[in-house]
Amino acid sequence: MSPTSTGFRWLVVPDDPAAEPSRELVGGKAWSLWRMRSLGLRVPPAFVVTTEACAAWFASGHLPDGLVAELEAGIRLLEAELGRTFGGTQRPLLVSVRSGAAVSMPGMMDTILDLGCTDAVEAALAAETGDAAFAAEVHRRFAGFYGRLVCGCVEDLEELPTLDAVRGAIAAEGASVPRDPWEQLHAAVAAVFASSRSRRAVAYRRHYGIPEDLGTAVTIQAMVFGNLDDDSGTGVLFTRSPVDGARAPYGEYLPRGQGEDVVSGRVTPEPLAALATRHPAVHAELLAAAECLDREGRDAQDIEFTVQRGELFLLQSRSAKRTARAAVRIAVALVDEGAIAPREAVRRVTAEQVRTLLRPEIGATDGAAVLASGTAASPGVATGTAVGTPEEAQGNPGSVLVRRSTSPEDVHGMIAAVAVVTEQGGATSHAAVVSRALDTPCVVGCGAGTVEALIGRTVTVDATHGHVYAGEVATTAVDEGADSDLLRLTEWAAAATTLRVQDSGPEPAFDADAVPLDELGERLPDVPPGTRTVRGALFTGPEGVAAALDAGVEVIVAAHRLPVLLAAAAHQERTR
Amino acid sequence: MLDPYQLTLHSLTLRQMASAEQLADVTGQPVADVETGLEKALADGAVLSARGSYMIGPTGRSLLDAAYPDAFAALRAAPDVAAAMESFETGVNQQVLTVTTDWQTVEVDGSRVPNDHGDADYDAKIIGRLCRIHEKLPKVLAPITAADPLVDRFIGRLGAALTRAEGGETDYVSGVRVDSFHTVWFQMHEHLLRLTGRERPE
Repeated sequence: MSPTSTGFRWLVVPDDPAAEPSRELVGGKAWSLWRMRSLGLRVPPAFVVTTEACAAWFASGHLPDGLVAELEAGIRLLEAELGRTFGGTQRPLLVSVRSGAAVSMPGMMDTILDLGCTDAVEAALAAETGDAAFAAEVHRRFAGFYGRLVCGCVEDLEELPTLDAVRGAIAAEGASVPRDPWEQLHAAVAAVFASSRSRRAVAYRRHYGIPEDLGTAVTIQAMVFGNLDDDSGTGVLFTRSPVDGARAPYGEYLPRGQGEDVVSGRVTPEPLAALATRHPAVHAELLAAAECLDREGRDAQDIEFTVQRGELFLLQSRSAKRTARAAVRIAVALVDEGAIAPREAVRRVTAEQVRTLLRPEIGATDGAAVLASGTAASPGVATGTAVGTPEEAQGNPGSVLVRRSTSPEDVHGMIAAVAVVTEQGGATSHAAVVSRALDTPCVVGCGAGTVEALIGRTVTVDATHGHVYAGEVATTAVDEGADSDLLRLTEWAAAATTLRVQDSGPEPAFDADAVPLDELGERLPDVPPGTRTVRGALFTGPEGVAAALDAGVEVIVAAHRLPVLLAAAAHQERTR
Repeated sequence: MLDPYQLTLHSLTLRQMASAEQLADVTGQPVADVETGLEKALADGAVLSARGSYMIGPTGRSLLDAAYPDAFAALRAAPDVAAAMESFETGVNQQVLTVTTDWQTVEVDGSRVPNDHGDADYDAKIIGRLCRIHEKLPKVLAPITAADPLVDRFIGRLGAALTRAEGGETDYVSGVRVDSFHTVWFQMHEHLLRLTGRERPE
């Protein structure tokens, strides 16, 4: 424990690299903060109210004796570190309040940002930043968080345009946001405690056999601002390219930007190189931190940071989102760097991502007529005869199902069809959601008359670009044997599962394609007992692979090995 | 209200190619009653069956189309039901479709790519958004719930899907072959449209 944090009964200050706090006591999030600090990285200062305080709160029904005084002492530490004052009329300190248990537990309270905001604080913030609109926005957002999370309002408070509107909606439900920042803090801490026994949290623990009295810790962390002066700003950095996985940091920086500004797209940020020009030392520190987090996280990281008066603060680091191509490249590169074992690389790439990579693309259309165009809702290319009802799609394997819109009655037809086309709806229609879940190519919103124009014809649906062509159009496919990253992953995946994927297998064999579709409906076929080999498209998706393995099958016959092997490795790991 | 026989037929418009047990799960009727209804429907030529699964046929559809206006006359005339339906379509239904899309795909460099579920925080936030919609739902649908007990059953099944999704069974967000949140929502949406006689807006 650091000298400043000794003597606390209910708090832990996770700032001493030598004192690893117990996850049971401080929760996973505060432990991560400690981890970053112990790596020498600068995060906004924070302290934690322990799970023991939570237990005491439940035992007595009020904040345990001494906690109020300790909360004040904790806040004083943050004030001293940043030179700001909680509830102050000059350089005010705002904090975030978040829940955190030792094990992930859904249903607990979301983060409250900007706590400590009052009318006076808003005025002080406006004066300090020279941006009254920003200060008003901070106050409005805080009231929204507080109203929803502490007062329990069910309205979408965040969508209300002004502070007065938010206050009005909270008042309408018989509650209010305290004008005293300390009162806000005490109520927020109690609300976090209470949320660990919310209906959702309790239902979750009951379902999964987690002890019901497992409480939560509360992390209280200072807010930092990227809009204080010309030496402040905010940005994001990816340690590797999320598009192709190349090992080169890339990101964006917004001088005088705050919080969501970069993510929202409201303003156009500068490339990271601009930060190198403005503040070479900060830029160098950021790249060193990124390198450290990539190595420690053993994965590509997406890092949010803020520069406050020339000082770098890391706000969050998490595994970065990536394209399928980048996922494969990053997993193989991490093995080459010695960061992860081949077995782990197999866990990092999903069967769906590899199917995305191997998906055929439309080839030369040779002037084929475009019969319909709409929104590409689930990518892929397929050719078949267009039919107008789910029954026909089921009775004629290889059909393209064309509907005005889809209802639950169409689902069995969508399962059977090679592609789905609709007249109505957009990228977030039911048809789009179901098609993506099935990984079936789908074009939606092609307009009135599409059904009549297509039915009975052979058509090629290019759902990657949103067109329907007359006749059969050639496709180009990626060869998994010609890509060295895919080849190596295939080798590692084959070693991670007992299943074999090959052109043929031992008898008895079962062919799903031989089962009439109208006998299947929405179900997978039952694999006869003793079957050693299965074939058919139904057994190449994750659900089919799982069903085959559960039935004791040894070999799946499939054109593409890697997606099946990855699905098998994942399923066997889950059920081991 | 629909009588038990009509209700069994109606349930086949929410879940095609279903067994008697699966239909009973949708409506909450005893399995034996559903079986009795299905036998009668087979004899009437209102449904078709193959290997224990049932599908509604044209005769069954006509029978329902004739039954709805009487069965739901009071409900269809109520202004608060119409307002609730409008709010459902433009509010929570749009939100659910957007949120399930965000679950399936994520934006990388301006284009949507499959969600590899490698970011537990991202997934948890999505499920959290679905939970908030689920918590709001009883209030949005209150005028309809008061007139039709089946809506409450859907809300309960949505909650069960969420609990499983939260436990890491990711199929229970938008999977097609299980009673995922989207599967149940899709059924409930169809039920509400048939109840109120509205056209599917998409």
